[in-house]
Amino acid sequence: MLKVQEIRELIKLIDESSIDEFSYESNGTKVSMKKEKESFQVEEVPKSSRSTYEPVQVEVDEKPVATAEKSKSVATQEVEETAASTNYDHEIVSPMVGTFYSSPTPDSDPFVQKGEKVKSNSVVCIVEAMKLFNEIEAEVNGEIVEVLVENGELVEYGQPLFRVKSE
Amino acid sequence: MESTRNDLIELLEKNKDDYVSGQELSRQLNISRTAVWKHMKELEKDGYMIEAVSRKGYRITQFPSKLSPNTIQWGLHTNWIGKKIIHREQVDSTQIIANQLAREGAEHGTIVIADEQTAGKGRMSRPWHSAKGKGIWMSIVLRPNMMPQHAPQLTLLTATVLAECIDHYMGVRPSIKWPNDIFIHGKKTAGILTEMQAEQDRIQYVVLGIGINVNQDEHDIPPELRSIATSVKQETNQEWDLRESIQHILSGFEVSYEHYMANGFAHIKQTWEKYGYRIGETVTVETLQRTWQTVIVGIAEDGALLIKEEDGNVDKLYSAEIQW
Repeated sequence: MLKVQEIRELIKLIDESSIDEFSYESNGTKVSMKKEKESFQVEEVPKSSRSTYEPVQVEVDEKPVATAEKSKSVATQEVEETAASTNYDHEIVSPMVGTFYSSPTPDSDPFVQKGEKVKSNSVVCIVEAMKLFNEIEAEVNGEIVEVLVENGELVEYGQPLFRVKSE
Repeated sequence: MESTRNDLIELLEKNKDDYVSGQELSRQLNISRTAVWKHMKELEKDGYMIEAVSRKGYRITQFPSKLSPNTIQWGLHTNWIGKKIIHREQVDSTQIIANQLAREGAEHGTIVIADEQTAGKGRMSRPWHSAKGKGIWMSIVLRPNMMPQHAPQLTLLTATVLAECIDHYMGVRPSIKWPNDIFIHGKKTAGILTEMQAEQDRIQYVVLGIGINVNQDEHDIPPELRSIATSVKQETNQEWDLRESIQHILSGFEVSYEHYMANGFAHIKQTWEKYGYRIGETVTVETLQRTWQTVIVGIAEDGALLIKEEDGNVDKLYSAEIQW
């Protein structure tokens, strides 16, 4: 997730640029900014005391699709953030392109399920490509808070597979 | 101890038409004549027949056909593969043992080999019939210094090693069904299963499992498999020495692996496509989601299967089963 400092930096850069609109998405977090040109150049209201260059207020909200709407008399930029779940601090990602298998054989139970505790060496799934079966370990002790892919799905290199709340 | 025994075998091998005196062996191996004699008794347990003639010395009269670390290492001229060999008469699966050894730190190139597997496994734990003494059932532990996403190429590499061994040493031309099944005259002869433990950017180990039907007669193959499976013997009308076959595979593997690590996949791709089965033909492809008809174009620079869809687009497949 972006830090407040980074968002400020972005606003500053966009402020100084000729870009009217900007959006950025990563790991379930979305930031979008929009300039309203005609009012933008009019005035600078020192409403926010947080920084000297900041002509606007920025609000970063943890809730999904939270929009910070400001008074129309000032130049407005919107920062929007959506976070599906912030209750995790580790993502297990795929080390290669291949097929995601949630269980060791088609008939057996999944290696792990949502809500299950895992150890760093627990096998959480298999990713297979060209008959090479890669057993993926959790790499942290914690709890699986989200399973992001389904059995049989094709996964990309670096794609998040599970979200884990580590202990 | 084992290296002395290997040196002893090497000395006798070099002079196999002649006798080597006990004194000469004792001098070259730098051990006492009693120790030489003790090593010979051990070799006889492995199936060597050594003739001793007074005032002439010793001579190997028969090489063992049974498998053991000694008999495989004897005559195996490799730098790192097979320096450590674990042999069992009967195991559930060599993959299980090799995985366990790898977790415990087994070194790069360690081999696990069995005369018989009671629970040999293939893709998604499908059973692999591995009859006693009739085939090569082995696993190789590797610790390659490469990115995990390239590791699937090792399975195609292994397929080319087996194909070249069968072609050049056994004298029958096989085909490779993507990614790594070996067919002779349209019937499955060998399979490869690879398992890996890896982090995002580092491989801990790879265990390559190889199963080859070598000396099965038709009646050794379960009736329900006879129409789709065969052995090298059935296709060449000849019995093959397992020990020598294993040595050919291991030394071929080492050469090919080193070439690949130094120069990349291009050479493997070329060899693979030389043996590639049904390239240019329409086949049925099955993934977990769907089954459809498509044309095999070849393989990509990274080993993925290239197929041509009906709309003319060429797609890459990383995991799928080709049926025929």
